[in-house]
Amino acid sequence: MPRGLTFEQIGVTEAMIASYADAIWRLSNNVQIRRGDPVRLLELDRVDAERADLGMSDAQIAAVLGLTRDQVLAIRVLTEVRRFRRRNYHRLYELGRGSRFRADRYVPLEARGGFRADALALREALRFDPKEVRRFVEAGWWGNDTLAGWIAARAAEAPQRAAIRGPDGDLGYGELARRAERFAVGLHRLGIGRGDVVSVQLPNVPEFLVAYLGIARIGAVMSTAHVPYRAAELRTLLAHSRARALVCLSRNKDHEPAAAALALPSLEHVIALGDPVPGTRSFAEVLASAGDLPDDLAPAPADPFLLLYTSGTSANPKAVPLTQQATLGNARMGAPEHRITAADVVLSAAPYSHLFGLYSFHLAAGVGATNLLLPAFTPPDFAQAVAAGRPTVLFVGPAHLAALLKIGLLDATDLSSVRLVIASGSACPPELARAVAARLPNGRFTQLWGMTETQAGLYTRPDDPIEVAALTAGRPSPGTEARVVGPDGAGLEPGEEGELQVRGSLMFPGYFDNAEANADAFTADGWFRTGDLAARDAGGNFRITGRSKDLINRGGVKYNPRDVEDLLDAHPDVMQAAVVPVPDPVLGERACCVIVPRSERSPGLEELCAYLLERGVARYKLPERLELVAEMPLTPTRKIIKSRLVARIARSA
Amino acid sequence: MSEAAAREARPGADPAAIKAQIVEYCKRKGALAVGVADLEAIDRVAPPGHRPGDILPNVRSVISLGVGGQTQGAWTVPTKAFAYFGSTEGRAYSIAYGCSFFIESRFRARAIYCPPDMDPEGGARIPLQSLKLHAELAGIGARSLAGDILLHPEFGYMYYASVFTELELPPDRPLATNPCPAPSCVDMYRKTGQTPCMKFCPVQCLSGTIDERGRQAEMRYEMAKCAELTQQYEAVPEVLAEALAAGDAAARERTLFDPDASLLWYKMSVGSGGLLAQCFECMRVCPIATRAPLADPIRRAQAADRKD
Repeated sequence: MPRGLTFEQIGVTEAMIASYADAIWRLSNNVQIRRGDPVRLLELDRVDAERADLGMSDAQIAAVLGLTRDQVLAIRVLTEVRRFRRRNYHRLYELGRGSRFRADRYVPLEARGGFRADALALREALRFDPKEVRRFVEAGWWGNDTLAGWIAARAAEAPQRAAIRGPDGDLGYGELARRAERFAVGLHRLGIGRGDVVSVQLPNVPEFLVAYLGIARIGAVMSTAHVPYRAAELRTLLAHSRARALVCLSRNKDHEPAAAALALPSLEHVIALGDPVPGTRSFAEVLASAGDLPDDLAPAPADPFLLLYTSGTSANPKAVPLTQQATLGNARMGAPEHRITAADVVLSAAPYSHLFGLYSFHLAAGVGATNLLLPAFTPPDFAQAVAAGRPTVLFVGPAHLAALLKIGLLDATDLSSVRLVIASGSACPPELARAVAARLPNGRFTQLWGMTETQAGLYTRPDDPIEVAALTAGRPSPGTEARVVGPDGAGLEPGEEGELQVRGSLMFPGYFDNAEANADAFTADGWFRTGDLAARDAGGNFRITGRSKDLINRGGVKYNPRDVEDLLDAHPDVMQAAVVPVPDPVLGERACCVIVPRSERSPGLEELCAYLLERGVARYKLPERLELVAEMPLTPTRKIIKSRLVARIARSA
Repeated sequence: MSEAAAREARPGADPAAIKAQIVEYCKRKGALAVGVADLEAIDRVAPPGHRPGDILPNVRSVISLGVGGQTQGAWTVPTKAFAYFGSTEGRAYSIAYGCSFFIESRFRARAIYCPPDMDPEGGARIPLQSLKLHAELAGIGARSLAGDILLHPEFGYMYYASVFTELELPPDRPLATNPCPAPSCVDMYRKTGQTPCMKFCPVQCLSGTIDERGRQAEMRYEMAKCAELTQQYEAVPEVLAEALAAGDAAARERTLFDPDASLLWYKMSVGSGGLLAQCFECMRVCPIATRAPLADPIRRAQAADRKD
C-alpha cells in the first residue's frame, strides 16, 4: 500500500491514536528490551519469540494489533512527535571535558528558576535611550560592575582587610563575602530569586551589609525602609515594591517591627534580627545556610538591584530602580574624584537606608576601604565613633554637623584622623561649612549634591578652595551632565538662577509603577527635572539656591507630608490641613502643621501628634509646630498654596 | 552476475579468495574490520521490507566493514562540540561505495553500497537496513548495554557500512564473545546497580542487568529518549506548532526566533551535521569504546610501533 495517504484516507482518528499510541510505542523500536545476546549467539528462534520486546516493524505491529500498516505508521510517527521533548537537548551543553551528567543533580530547564512577573515588571521599568546606552558603555561609565563581583575581588585581594569595623570588632572582606554568600543561599532556599524584591529595615549594623550583599549576590533587589517607619508606611511601600521578604529588627526601642510585619499581607517571609519572634525566621537561621548557589543566579551589571523610595509612604509612592552598573559606576568613578583609597576608614552618619549612606559603602567596597559603622546617629555616639574608630572620611549631613557644633562636640572631638568630609542631604550653610573646615587639622570639607534619582550628581573636590566647598555643591560627577534652565527650558548663563536639570549614566530610568510621577520627571530631550533651584558660577560649580518641590527636609531626611496631611484632614476637629517646612537652625527644616479648625474647638499639637502616632505615622514626620488659620490660600483649582503659608509663618515669626 | 560468472572472469578465483581480495581492498582503504554476514540469518532477524533482498533482489552476500570511530582527542571535547562529529562516518560509506565499484570492476558481479539512510516509507526513525545487524552477523561487533551500540574487543567503537553483492561469499561467524560489559563495568554494576553508560546518560535512556557470570542479562533502551538529544528533526514541527499556538505576535516571534530556534533554522538551511548528531556520552564513559587496544589512532600507532 503506498504511503502518503491522509489520515482520513487510512481511517486514523484521534480516538484511535488515544487507544493505540501506547501499545504501538511499546512494540516499536522506541522501547527496546533485549535479553541475553540472541543475535550474536544465533538463537534466532529466541529472536522471533522476543520480537515484541526487541522492537517490531510497523507491519509486524499492525499484525499484532489488528491495524493496517499505514495506521500504525501514522499513529507511531505522530506519537513520536507529540512525545518529543525538544528542550532536553540542552542537557548536552553542560557535559564533556570531564563533566558528566548526574541524574541526581540535574535540574531540568523548566524547573529552573526564572523571573517572576513582579520582577519582570520591575525590569520593564528599566528603559534607557539606546543612543545614551551606547554612549555610557563606550565612555566606560557603565562597566562590568556588580556588587558581588566587587566583594569577591576584595575578598580575593585582601581577605583579612577590615571591611566592617563595628561594635564587635573588625570583619574582614573574606568573612564578609562568606557571610553574604551564606545569606544568599538562605534567601535562595526561601525561594527568593533574581529580580525579587527584598526590603531591608535595619540600622547601620553589619547585618545590614550582609543582607544587602546577600540580596545582590542572587540578583535580587534590595528596597530599603527607614528604621523609623511603622506599619502604616511599610504597608504602602511593601505593597508597591511587591517585596517578598522583609529583613528587620525583632525589637527597636518600644516597637516590635518583625511582629508587626507579620500582619502585612504582601510579605512571604519576615527575617528578624534579634530575639526570636514567632512566625518569623531569624537572621541567624538564614545566615547559617550552607551550599552552593546555581550559576544562573549570578547577577548581571544591567540588573536592577536597588529600589529606593523617595516619597509617598501613604499614596503615590515614588520608587527609584537603580541598576548595578549605574550605581556602582557612580562609586567606581567617584572614588578617585574623592580620593578615597583602600587605606581609608569611612564613617557614614547617614543611614544605609538612604542612597547617600549606601554611596559611602559603595565607595569603600570599590576600593577595599573599611566601613566604620554607626548604627544610628546621635551627636555623642558619632563623636565616640570618631574618637574610637579614627575614620579618615566622614559622610555627614549639614544637620549632623550643626548638631555636633551646637553642643560643642566638634571642638571636643579629635578630628585629626579625618582627611575628608563629604556633606550632603541639604545645602550646607556657608558658615557651617567654614566652621567645620576650620576644625579639620588634616582634612578638607566638601559638599555633595544628589538625589536618589540622580545619585551623586555634583560635588566639590578635595582640592577645591573652602569658598567653593562652602558656597556650592561643586561640579558634575563623572557620567553626569548638569544644566540650569529658565521657565522656558532654555539654558541660563552663569549666575542666573533656574531649575537644575541633570542627565547621564547615573540617572534613574524613571519611577517604578508611577506613570503620573514619570510624566513630569523628564524633559522631552531626557533631562531630569530635579525640582531644585540652582545657579552655575563661572568655574562650573553649581550653587543650590532653593527647592521648588514641597518635600520637607528634616536634617537631611526628606519626606513628603502628604500622608500626614491626609490623616489630619480626617481628624474630626480639622477642616483642612497642610504641613509645610519652617526653617530650623539645626535640622534645616521642621514641619509645621497649619489647620483650619472645624469648629471653635481647636485641637492642640500634642493631641494631633498622639492622633497621628495612633495611626502608625513615624515620629520624625510628626509636626513640631501648629498654626491655626481661618482659611487656606487656594489656587483656582483648590490646591493649597503652600508657599503663602510658609511666608505667613515666616512673617509671624 | 553469479559466482560462476565471477569465477569465469577471474579463472581460478574461488569465493574465499575473492572475499580475501575484498577484505584486503577495504582494509587498504581504511577499514579496521571487514566481514561477511550470513544472509539467511539477516533475513530471519530483519523484518520484511528491511532485508537485503528488498533492495538488491539477487543479493547473495552482505559485506560489513567498520572504520575507526573517534580520535582520542575527540573524547575530550565538550559534548556540544562532540555532537558535530556526526552520527555517520563518511569514510565508511566511501569505502563501501568504492568496494562496490571494486567488486563490479574486478569480479563482474553486481554490487551496491547499502543506503545508510531512513526508509522513506517508514518515517524518520526507521532505517532502510540495519547496518548494525549486518556488522554483528559479520562478526565485527557485538551489542552493548549502551542501546545495542556495537563494540569490538580490539577496535572499540566503530562506524559501519555495508555492501550488497550478487557474489556469493563465505559468511563469517559473529564474535565468539561479547566485550560488553567490561570487567570494570561489572564491578560498578555490582556496587551501584548501574554501568557507566547507564549512570551518565543525559536522558537516562539506558538500564539493564548483568548476570552472575558478568554477562548481559537484559538491555533496556528507550530510543525515543535518546533521540531527544540527537534527532532534532522533530523539533522543527514542534517549534512551528508552538508558533501557531502563540498568543500574540511578540510571543510568536520569540518562539520562532529565540536562540535555539534560530540555530535550528541555521542547521536546516546549511544541512549541518549537528542537526542529527550523537551525544556520545555513553561511549565517552565506555572503557571498551575509549580504551580498547586499538580504539583510536594513537593506540593503533603505538601498537604498530610495538609490532615493529
